[in-house]
Amino acid sequence: MPSFTALLLVMAGAAIFCRFAGFVAMRYLPNSPRLDAALRATPVAVMAGIAVLAAVHGSISDMVALAAAVALTFLIGNDVAAALIAVVLAALMRFTLG
Amino acid sequence: MSAPFTRDGLLRGIRDATPLGLGIFLYGVGVGLVADQAQFALGQALAMSATVYSGSAQLAAMNLIATGHLTLVSLAATILLMNARYLMFGAALHPWLSQTSGPRAYGSLLLMGDANWILVMRAIARGETDRAYLAGSGVPMLVGWLSGTAFGVMAGHILPDPKVLAADMMLPAFAAAMMAGMMRGRVSYVAAAVGAGMALVVNSLAGPGWAVIAAGVSGAVVAAATWQPDAVPA
Repeated sequence: MPSFTALLLVMAGAAIFCRFAGFVAMRYLPNSPRLDAALRATPVAVMAGIAVLAAVHGSISDMVALAAAVALTFLIGNDVAAALIAVVLAALMRFTLG
Repeated sequence: MSAPFTRDGLLRGIRDATPLGLGIFLYGVGVGLVADQAQFALGQALAMSATVYSGSAQLAAMNLIATGHLTLVSLAATILLMNARYLMFGAALHPWLSQTSGPRAYGSLLLMGDANWILVMRAIARGETDRAYLAGSGVPMLVGWLSGTAFGVMAGHILPDPKVLAADMMLPAFAAAMMAGMMRGRVSYVAAAVGAGMALVVNSLAGPGWAVIAAGVSGAVVAAATWQPDAVPA
């Protein structure tokens, strides 16, 4: 087995590559309105993916909490507060429902 | 190269990301617990959290290391696979972040995690112009991550499971709420629907790591394919 220092250097190199490579690659793509539209749509699609995966892998109470996060954002207009309330709701439901 | 990069932007990022830092702390406790069980020393666990700075990648790597049957190539492949989504995250930040100097941009990218990337993309959509916001948002995340890791390694055996506190729900809850907050126009609804659908399909075929990447790529492809000059931006 390699030394921990070697393991750490390999892990750090791979992690830094992932953080930099996409940013660097964009320097070589010609800018266009379509590319801008694609990049602007990426976060919404990623967030939808993260949320739906958590919903299908989680319990009913997790689904309720995620639905509450979305509904509260539309209702109160503050997404950070909505997310925090949803997390507290999830914790309470896990505590009471198991 | 003239975009602002100021102390105010840095502080604004710190302030906005502080609620996320608590969730990251609890997630870090979970990773510290696993590191302790895998016989990592405190310094080793902290070094890993500081350099890899990604829960899913660290958990996968610790699992691989704990088997005792690994090569440097298999370890690198594990990190690249688990962190491949950051390729997409960095690309999405490029139009905004490239307007500051290289050292500032690359330094900021080192502080990019899942949760603060979401936060920053939302801030950009709302008109944030100060490029120090990304680095600022990374500060509470890194502090929470490292302190959580340390706490998990040192005191993990006396702590309740972080899942009881719903720490694992912090990222999905923020993702769901910020997605709702960023919904503007047909394009964003279509991108979200396509991303969610593609995530479910790819998750069943290749697991959650690829599913998040597929969600982002599919949403981007649909937005590019349906782009019209007068469309409301996503």
